[in-house]
Amino acid sequence: MHVNYWNELKKDKFGRKGLYMVAALGIAAVGAGWLAPHDPFAYVAPPLSAPSLTHPLGTNEVGQDICSELLYGARTTLLIGTVAALFSTLFSLLIGLTAGIFRGWVERLLLRLVDVLLVIPVFLLALLVAAYVQPGRLTLIVLFTVLLWPPGSRIIWSQVISLRNQGHVAAARHFGAGTGYLAFRHLVPELYPLLVVNFIQVVRRAVFMEAGMAFIGVFDPAQKSWGIMLHYARDFMFTDAWMWWLLPPALAISFTIIAFALIGYALETALDPRLRRQSYAGNK
Amino acid sequence: MRKRLGDYILAFLIIIMLNFFLPRLMPGDAISALYGDALMEMSPQTEAYLLERYGLDKPLGEQFGLYISNLAQGDLGYSYYFRAPVGQVLVGALPWTLSLIAISLLISALAGIIWGVEAAWRRGRKFDRASLVTIMLLNGVPGFVLGILLLLIFGFYMPWFPISGGASPYMDYSGWEQLWDYLQHLFLPALTLTLVQLPRNFMLMRSSLLAVKEKPYIYTARNKGLRDRMVRYRHAARSALAPVITRLGMSIGLLFTSVLFVEIIFAYPGLGNLFYLALQHHDYPTIHGCLLLITVCVLLFNLLADLLNQKIDPRLRELDARQLLERA
Amino acid sequence: MLEINNLTVSFPVSHNHERAYQHPDQAPQNVQPEASASQLTVLNKVNLSVQTGEIWGIVGESGSGKSTLALTLMGMVGEALQQGSIKFKGQELLENSPRCWEKLRGSAISMVMQQSGEMLTPTLPLIDQIMEPYLKLYPRQKETAQRLGSQLLRRVGLDESYFYRYPHTLSGGEVQRALIAMALITDPELLILDEPVSSLDVRTKSDILNLLTEITAGRTVLVISHDLHTVKRLAHRTAVLYCGAILETGPAADCLQEPAHPYTRALVRAYPTLEGARELQGIRGEFPPLNQRPEGCPFHTRCTQSLDICSWQRPEPVEVGRTSLEHTSPIGNGRRQIACHRAGVLELLRCENVVQRYKLDKKQANSEPGNNYLEAVSGVSLTLREGEVYALVGESGSGKSTLGRILAGVDRPYRGEVFFQQQPLHKMFGAAKKEQSRNLQMLFQNSGEALSHRLNVHELVSEPLQIQKIGDPKSRQKAVRKALEWVNLPVTGHFLHEYPHHLSGGELQRVALARALVLEPKVLIADEPSASLDASVQAKIIKLLLHLQNERGFALILITHELALAAKAGDKVGVMYQGKIVEEGPPAKVLRYPQHWYTKTLTDTDTDRDLLIGDKTIPHPKSAG
Repeated sequence: MHVNYWNELKKDKFGRKGLYMVAALGIAAVGAGWLAPHDPFAYVAPPLSAPSLTHPLGTNEVGQDICSELLYGARTTLLIGTVAALFSTLFSLLIGLTAGIFRGWVERLLLRLVDVLLVIPVFLLALLVAAYVQPGRLTLIVLFTVLLWPPGSRIIWSQVISLRNQGHVAAARHFGAGTGYLAFRHLVPELYPLLVVNFIQVVRRAVFMEAGMAFIGVFDPAQKSWGIMLHYARDFMFTDAWMWWLLPPALAISFTIIAFALIGYALETALDPRLRRQSYAGNK
Repeated sequence: MRKRLGDYILAFLIIIMLNFFLPRLMPGDAISALYGDALMEMSPQTEAYLLERYGLDKPLGEQFGLYISNLAQGDLGYSYYFRAPVGQVLVGALPWTLSLIAISLLISALAGIIWGVEAAWRRGRKFDRASLVTIMLLNGVPGFVLGILLLLIFGFYMPWFPISGGASPYMDYSGWEQLWDYLQHLFLPALTLTLVQLPRNFMLMRSSLLAVKEKPYIYTARNKGLRDRMVRYRHAARSALAPVITRLGMSIGLLFTSVLFVEIIFAYPGLGNLFYLALQHHDYPTIHGCLLLITVCVLLFNLLADLLNQKIDPRLRELDARQLLERA
Repeated sequence: MLEINNLTVSFPVSHNHERAYQHPDQAPQNVQPEASASQLTVLNKVNLSVQTGEIWGIVGESGSGKSTLALTLMGMVGEALQQGSIKFKGQELLENSPRCWEKLRGSAISMVMQQSGEMLTPTLPLIDQIMEPYLKLYPRQKETAQRLGSQLLRRVGLDESYFYRYPHTLSGGEVQRALIAMALITDPELLILDEPVSSLDVRTKSDILNLLTEITAGRTVLVISHDLHTVKRLAHRTAVLYCGAILETGPAADCLQEPAHPYTRALVRAYPTLEGARELQGIRGEFPPLNQRPEGCPFHTRCTQSLDICSWQRPEPVEVGRTSLEHTSPIGNGRRQIACHRAGVLELLRCENVVQRYKLDKKQANSEPGNNYLEAVSGVSLTLREGEVYALVGESGSGKSTLGRILAGVDRPYRGEVFFQQQPLHKMFGAAKKEQSRNLQMLFQNSGEALSHRLNVHELVSEPLQIQKIGDPKSRQKAVRKALEWVNLPVTGHFLHEYPHHLSGGELQRVALARALVLEPKVLIADEPSASLDASVQAKIIKLLLHLQNERGFALILITHELALAAKAGDKVGVMYQGKIVEEGPPAKVLRYPQHWYTKTLTDTDTDRDLLIGDKTIPHPKSAG
């Protein structure tokens, strides 16, 4: 039974909502330049002004427009999240595929490595590294890529193992297909849905980590991100400013994480044949 | 089991190596990478002593030997920010963190498991869907946001709980009063941590139970005429628990991340706060010590989960829990 | 004890079978009286009455609804729509609340479910799971439960070392034993066994069957199985289920040895038996999927004797008086019922006391004074039913060909009568005679002789049509082509204009077969259809003949001198010796337990014997180890 994941996603209540939410985020990020009322780096008004018509969410402690910061923050979040997730997923694929195709010592070595990396507290390690290295966008992307691949590679590996035993792969192997042919013609296409799910999950984690690190104070001050906003806003949390300064970036982060979680959940449900609702009509 | 133990030892070694090599591979000399800001207020004698004590001017191999032997003696270095040996600083912070973790882990695991069982049992119906939506929303709120919101609501606008620290300072409480004070301070951080972990536990239990629910032995149990509750908990939940516990053990690393945030927000005097302070003041020996200790904690929790699993699920006495996961 | 009346169970379309019994508690109990179009009817007006102490076997293929029947009796069909009534000891079960079901399950009614993977909860030791049903009834009597549990486990062959083991360390057979013990712990009044041995390997199967025979004695049991052997072994009475309808009920041994309903017969024929030597025959057509259940008699689409009425009216069960076998069942009155518009498998051909004799010429007569006649056939009676293959074996001169000619209506018997569809065959005239000769065809021994060398293939095959004055030249040509296709001959113009002497022996035989089939007869009498051919061609012709028999559904009398062939082809074998049928019965029986000395010599001289029935007994695993 072949499943059209895109359709499944659109059919699923959760999945559809997630898609809308991500679309909204995408628009905010891409269109920040036009949508933002001000330059987020410019000091446009007295510091700590309350929301007004020109500054819908007021200004921060140095007089930058919070609403514009928020819109530009979407860029950082989405950029780091998606790029890191993309590379990390590719890395997972590489490792998982390698372990699954070349059995024997290669597999044992890689799996052991993955198992070990899985127990290491990733976030704290990221903080440690960031303490030494200036955490710009590029650094964060590299860091997240390096830190977030192990769980995915394990899942991909186990899927490759079960695929290897399936008829069409065994048949291709029997016909004398080479490793590369086997991997790209038979295995990788079957892994697409899994890769997408993994991608979504890594985006979620990366978004969370970026925000978390910025919140703690590990960030590049030359950028705007929701985590950085939270970091500064926290100092003024016991004033009324929390309502327009602290809450919006917090909600934006939640919004992003929920959006990706919804898509991820819908995809996983579609992927899992056990949970797939079957009907007689559909059982041709 | 022996294989898992090997994994743990290996992981531990990797962390030690990271701890050791990372600062030494950074640009600049080792001593400034290791001691950072503290170096500026150090007398040349102290600096010389440190160079000598940790062999910082020696080749890497020799340094590593020294590092290991120091570690074996429990010497994690000296914290210039706290003005105490790192080991001592860590030991002071550990109980706070452990109590926080233990309580939140217990409550969130119990609540997540029961809730997950009930939702999975009613899969696709109102209760399940409502639970899912609630969990999804809760899951979307990062720990640091949740902490701040709870702090604002229950600490500031409705000042029912203290907003920072692990105990009231300068108060001479005794016995029960002291305990009550501890608990009051513990409440909000523990609540935050519980809520942060709950979605994960719920989802784990729910999906694991969904898989088990279709197993023939559930029909057998029902066929015997057992009460539904009996089938649900004695037969289904129990059999579905092993993968959940394994994942819980594996997610302890994530839990420490949440602990970090919660302790920062509530200024709770545990390891996370320590890590934060050390990070802010570039107190590298303390950072490394924290990381090492946390890794050890994570490994121990993993081990604990494995042992617990073998108690619960006899299949795991021969099989790796992860194999079970992959089979499920 | 258990009365099932007009039970109809249907599932909502959007849910499949598995999901259907997930939420038994939330099942709609008071359901709307009519099934809407979006319902799939799995059981259709099932009637069954089980007396105390009876063991019933419910036979059916997968999809027949037999498991659903069991689950309905256990109250485990959840969302399904259930109509009719199930009375258990006078109490109506379908009105039960979920609580009532829970109380009933595992105490008054127990079931051993069909094995499919992990049947026992992996996290609890064996004996704890065995004790549970008892503890549910008597929560405080842990000690009694423990005692009963260990007793039962020992009884089913699991000793102390098993008590505290976990299910994943048990083999399939051991799990099955445990499940049986679990079902028995509350001493249920009704025990349901759903496919009790089907997933086990052969040896374990026979062990468990022995155990079940022992344990079911004196109990009221429903055995549900697709496995005829299991049912024959365990049950007194049987009900045959097809597409959710019961087609035949009766004493198990009778029903499965002398099936009365066409479906039962087809099922028996399709079923492989170890002792059976007979070639397997599938049931023609396909098993209808749930959403395409036929109207009327569910089997009519695959039945070889269906009438118009079968396709629109559902047959009611009627009593049939076919009790030719002795009753092995101690209980039950031997009543048989079938639901068939044609009252079961039709009798097509019957002969009674047929005698044929030829006058001897002087010389021969003199050598044996006082006997001027040779009795080629001396008092033979046999019956042939719709779709049956009767293999008549005998040496040359035994009178089998003579009998064949009489049965085909070619020769007139000296005495006795042949009935075709209850009409005396040799007293027919005019239209009746014509009709008869159309329905009763003969394939002669030597096709070379039987086919006129003056006619080409087309003329040969269309000859019967011409004689019967059926159709115009065009439709005849069509019929000829069809008949040739059945027998796998080319239908090219070239071939149609070939003359017999251009054809090989195999081709000739096929042409003869096509000629016999072109009229679509009800009975075909094939006299040594393959004797004159090479071995390789022989096999082909016989296979073709049997395949056509199965697909076209005609009855076949196969006359042969080879016992091996008879045993492979026949539903029934008759051994003929000196003009008499000295032995008759199912091939396995005739081969294995020959009664007449002549048959014994046949089975002994037949070199194929060892191949046909491996007589070496397999050592019993328990006794061996």
